[in-house]
Amino acid sequence: MAKILDKKLSSVQNKLLSLRQKLDFYQEELDYLDEKYQAKMDKVLSAFIKKADKKLEKYAFEACDKEAYAQAVIEEKLQKYDVKAYMKHREANHGAAKAIFAGGNVSEALAKNKEQIALINAKRKEYIDRLEAEKAEFLQKNSATSDKAYNELSKQLKAEFDAKENELKVKLDGKKAKEKASIEAKISKLQSKITELHGQLKSSDKLEDDVLLDIEGLKMYFGGLKAVDDLSFKVKKGEIFGLIGPNGAGKTTVFNCITQFYKPTAGKIRFAISENEVITLTDYKVHDIVLKGISRTFQNIEVVKEVTVLENLLIAATRYYNSNLFTQMFHLPALKREEQIMRAKADKILKYMDLYSYRDRLAWGLPYGVLKRIEIARALMCNPKLIILDEPAAGLNESETADLAALIHKIRTDMGCTILLVEHDMSLVMSICDHICAISFGKKLACGTPAEVQASKEVQEAYLGSGGE
Amino acid sequence: MNKLNRNYLNMPLYRAENERRSVENTLALLNKLRKNPVVGYVIFALILTVTQILSSAGLVNSSFVYAIGSTLIFCVVSLGFCLLLGYSALASLGTAGFIGIGAYCTYYCLAEWGLTIGVAFIMSIVIALIVGAIVGYISLRIEGIYLAIVTLGISQIIKEVLAALVDTIKIKGSQITLFGIDSLKLKTESIFYIIVGMMLLLMIITHNIMNSPTGRAMLAMKNSTSAAQAFGISLMKYRLLAFMISIIYAAIAGMLFMLYNRYVSNSSSTLFTLSTSLNILGAVIIGGMKSIWGTVAGTFIIYGIDKMFLQDIEFFRENPTLITLFCGILVVVVIMFYPGGLAQLLMEVKYKVEAFIRKKKEGKYGKDLG
Amino acid sequence: MPIASYLQILIGVIPSMCAGILATFAVTLIFKTSYTTNFAQGVISAIGAYVAVELTLVYGLPLWAVAFVGVIVAFIVGVAIDVLIFRNGRYVNALGKQIITMGLISIFIGLIPFVFKVAQFESVPVLPFIHLTQGITVGDVFIQYNTIISLVVTVVLLVAVFILLQKSKWGLSVRATASNEIVAGMMGINTKVITAVSWGIAGSFGAVAATLYIGNVTLSSGYIMTTTQINAFLAGILGGFATFYGPIFGAVIIYMLNVLIGCICIHVPVLSNWKPAIVYFIVMLLVLWKPHGLFGKKMVKKV
Repeated sequence: MAKILDKKLSSVQNKLLSLRQKLDFYQEELDYLDEKYQAKMDKVLSAFIKKADKKLEKYAFEACDKEAYAQAVIEEKLQKYDVKAYMKHREANHGAAKAIFAGGNVSEALAKNKEQIALINAKRKEYIDRLEAEKAEFLQKNSATSDKAYNELSKQLKAEFDAKENELKVKLDGKKAKEKASIEAKISKLQSKITELHGQLKSSDKLEDDVLLDIEGLKMYFGGLKAVDDLSFKVKKGEIFGLIGPNGAGKTTVFNCITQFYKPTAGKIRFAISENEVITLTDYKVHDIVLKGISRTFQNIEVVKEVTVLENLLIAATRYYNSNLFTQMFHLPALKREEQIMRAKADKILKYMDLYSYRDRLAWGLPYGVLKRIEIARALMCNPKLIILDEPAAGLNESETADLAALIHKIRTDMGCTILLVEHDMSLVMSICDHICAISFGKKLACGTPAEVQASKEVQEAYLGSGGE
Repeated sequence: MNKLNRNYLNMPLYRAENERRSVENTLALLNKLRKNPVVGYVIFALILTVTQILSSAGLVNSSFVYAIGSTLIFCVVSLGFCLLLGYSALASLGTAGFIGIGAYCTYYCLAEWGLTIGVAFIMSIVIALIVGAIVGYISLRIEGIYLAIVTLGISQIIKEVLAALVDTIKIKGSQITLFGIDSLKLKTESIFYIIVGMMLLLMIITHNIMNSPTGRAMLAMKNSTSAAQAFGISLMKYRLLAFMISIIYAAIAGMLFMLYNRYVSNSSSTLFTLSTSLNILGAVIIGGMKSIWGTVAGTFIIYGIDKMFLQDIEFFRENPTLITLFCGILVVVVIMFYPGGLAQLLMEVKYKVEAFIRKKKEGKYGKDLG
Repeated sequence: MPIASYLQILIGVIPSMCAGILATFAVTLIFKTSYTTNFAQGVISAIGAYVAVELTLVYGLPLWAVAFVGVIVAFIVGVAIDVLIFRNGRYVNALGKQIITMGLISIFIGLIPFVFKVAQFESVPVLPFIHLTQGITVGDVFIQYNTIISLVVTVVLLVAVFILLQKSKWGLSVRATASNEIVAGMMGINTKVITAVSWGIAGSFGAVAATLYIGNVTLSSGYIMTTTQINAFLAGILGGFATFYGPIFGAVIIYMLNVLIGCICIHVPVLSNWKPAIVYFIVMLLVLWKPHGLFGKKMVKKV
C-alpha cells in the first residue's frame, strides 16, 4: 500500500518539478527582456545613423578643412607604402645576413646592403614628393570651404534622430511592458499553481531542518567486492561538504550511487527539493536526476570535444527547452526565442567563470585547466541546488587550487548552491569545507568539522600521516 | 549625439571610393547569404531543376538526367545516416529493408488500391516507423553496437517477406496522379521535380536538426555517454530517434524509387539486398558522416559516377562488382586514416589554401612584429 | 504419419545447423577478443569454400583434400585482416572496427569474381562429401551420410575447442584476453598473437562451416553464408556474449525454432513464407525478455 501512495506522491512531485522548470525558464526570459529590447533599439537606430551619414556625405566634402584633409590622405597613403617598404628593408637585411653566414665577403655584403637601403629610401622620398605635388594641385583646385549646408543638414538630421529615438523608446517601452506583464502573469499563475500543488503534498517523509541530502546505510556491492559498506552522512543546505579517503576508498562510487549511475545494493538516499518535498533518488533514472536540481562534474573530464564551449553549456540545458521535435525540424520562432534566452544565460555563466574568450572555440585541444572550468560552468547551467564535484583539483598546481577554492566559495555565495566534493588535496578540503566525511574501504571513518576529522585517531591512522596540515 | 560628427578624414576621396563602398556592401550581403547554408541547398536544387528543364527541352541527354534522379534518391537515404552515424555513432545495416517497405507500400497504394501519393507517403512512413520502433527498441536496450546485427537480420527478413507477397512490383504511369485527380498525371520528368523538392526539404530538415538541441544532445551522447546522462539526455530516446529518422528517410526514398522507376523485381534486383545497405554506408563514410554536402558527394561518387558515366563504358558494365570493390576499399582506407571523409579532406585543403594566401600577404618574414 | 515428417525436418536442418554453430563460435571468439562484431565472417567463410570448390571443379582434386586448403587460406585471411588492418588504423574505435568489417565485405565480394574462375560459372553444383542420395534409412526417416559427416565434424571440432579453452594454456590466454586485454597483457600474455590467431581460427571455422554448407546449397555468390551469419549473430545476442557456450546454445535454439515452425508449417502451409519472420520475431521476444542474453550477465561500467 505504501508503495502505491509513494507513486502518487511522485506524480504530484513530478508535476511540481516540471512547473518549477517552466518557472525558471520564464524568469530567465524576464532577465533577458532588457537585453532583447536594447538590441532591437540599437538595430533600428544604427540603421538610421547609417542613412544619415550617407546623406551628410554629399555636403561633407565641401565643409571640410581641405588642408587637414589632404594631409590625412598623404599620411594614410604613406602608411600603406611604409608597410611594403619595411618588407623590402627586411628582405635586404636578411639577404645580407644570409650572404655573411654563407661565408661571403663581409664588407662587400654590407656595402650592397647599404646600397639597397639607400635605394629604398630614395624611392620613398620620391613617393613623398609626388604626394606633396598632388596635394598642392588638389589645394589649388579646391580651396573653398562652406559648411553652411552641412551644418544645416546635420542639425536637421539630429532633430530627426532625437525624435525617432524618443518615438522608438516609447513604442518599445510599451511593448516591453506588455511582454513583461504577460510573462509576470504567467509566472504568477504558475506560482499559484505551484503553491496549490504544494498544499496537496502530504509528505510522510521529512528530513531534519536544513538537511538537503540524507544518505542512510548506503551499500554498493559489486559481486563480492564491497565498494561502499553501510555509509551514512547528511549534507546541510548551503554548506560545502567534503568526502575524503585514500584511493579506492569508494568515494566516486558514492557519487555514482547518488546520481544513479549505479543502483545501490541497499540504503536510502533522500533529497529535499523544498520544504515539504523529499524524494528518494533511487526511484529515478540517471537521466532524470538533473531535473531534480543535482548536477555534477566528472573525475575524467567528460567535456564534449566535438562542439564549441558555448554548445557544451547548451547541452547541459537540453531538458529545459520546451520545443518539440517538429519545432526543431523547422527552426520555428519558438525555438529561436528559446535559443536566444539560453545563449544569453550561457554567456552570463561563461563571463562569470572567466571563459568568455573561449566561447566559440571547439573544446578539442583546450588546456586542462580550461576544461575543468568548463565542467563546472556546465554544472551551473541547470540552476542546481546541489553540485557534486568529483576531484575538482586533480591536476591543478597550488595557485590554481587556491583559485578553485575561491571559485567554490563564490559559487556557494552567489548561486546559493550546496556543494559536495571529493578530493585528495587535503589543504583544499580542510580550508573550504564546512563538514567532512572520511571513508576508507567503503566504511566511514569519521564525520564532522575539519578540526574534528583531523583530530580523529582512525583518520590519522588511515592515511593522513605526517603530511597532514 | 557624437555619432553624427562627421569624421572628415574618412570621407570618400574620389568617385572610385564610392564605387568601392557599394561593391563592399554587395559583398557583405553575399557573405551574409553565404553564411546561411540553406541558400546553398536552394541553389543546388535550382541547378538540378534547370537541368531537368533543359532536358525536357532536348538540350541535355535525358538518360543522364535520369541517372542524376536515381542518384538523388539514394542521396535521400544517405541523408538519414548523417544523424544516425555522424551524430549518434550507430551503424545500421537495415536500410535496404526499409527502402523495400517504402517501395511496396507505394505499389500497394497506387497500383492495387488506387489511392493517392499522399496516402502512399503516409503509409510508408507509418509502417516503417512501427517496424523500426520495435526493432530499435529491442536492440538499443542492450547496447548501441547490437543495432547493426539486428538491422541486418530485419533487412533480410523484410526482403524475404516482401518477396513472398509479390515478387515483381509494377506501377502504371496512369496510376501516378497528384491528389488523385486523373487529369494531373505525372510523367517521369515531373517526378524528378518531386524528388528534388523532397531532397531540398530533407536537407533543410536535417540541417535544422543538426543545429538544434536535439543534434547537440546526440553529439553529447556520441562523445560521452556519462556526461549526456548526467545532464538529462536519455540515451535510449535519442538513439531511437536517430534510428527512426534514418528509416523514415529510407522509406521515403523507397517511395520515390517506385514513382520514378515504376518497376522493380525483388529476386533479380539488388535494391533490397545487403549490398545496397553496404553501398549507402560506404557513401556516407567516404563523403563525411557529419556533413550534409559530404554525404551527397559520397553518394554521387558511389552511385552517381557509375550511373552517369561508367555505364557507358563496357568494361564497367561487365564487371559490376568493381564498384563494390572500389567502395569497400575506400571505406576501409577512410576509416583507418581519414575518419572525417571527403568533408574533412576539403576542410583541410581550405585551411591550407587560406594559410597559403595569408603567408603570401605577409611576405616571407611573417607578420610585422613592430 | 507426421512424426516421421517431423523427424525428417529435424534431420534436414542438421547440416545448416552445424554450419551455424561453427559460425557462431567464430563470431563469438572474435567478439570476445577484439570487441567487435565481424560482419565479414560470412564472406571469409565463402572464400574458404571458393578455394575448395575452385580446386575441385577446375583442377579436379578430391574435395576432402582441398577442404583443408580452403580452411588454411581462410585462416591466413583472418590473421591478415587483424595484423594488416586493425593494427594500423589511426583512430579506430569500436564503431570504426565494425564499419571496417562491413567495408571488407564489399572488398571481398568485389574481388571474388576476379580471383576465382568458379565465380564465372553459370551454375555450381552442390558438393557434398558423399553424394546426397546415399544414406541410411531408419524407419521412415532417411539420413544422408553427408549429414552424419557434418554432425561428426562439428561435434569433434566443438568438443576439441572447448577442451582447449578450459584446459590448455592457450585457452586460458584467450579467456584472459577476452576478459580484459590490458590486464592480460600485463600478465605476460602476448595479446597481439592471441588476437591474430583468434581471427585465424574464426576464419577457419567459418571455412569449415561453408564447406559443409555447400554440400546442400550451390555456391552461387559470396553472399551464400549471409543467412548463416545472421543466425550466428542472433545466436550470439540470444545466448549472450558473456560466455563462450551461451551463443552455441543460442544457435541450437534458433535452428530448433526453425524445425518447430517447419513442423507447424506442414499443417499450415501458408505460413511457410513467413517462417523466417516468425523465428526472428520469437528470437526478438526472447531478447526483449533477457536483454543480456539467456546466459548473460549485466556488466557495470565504471564512470
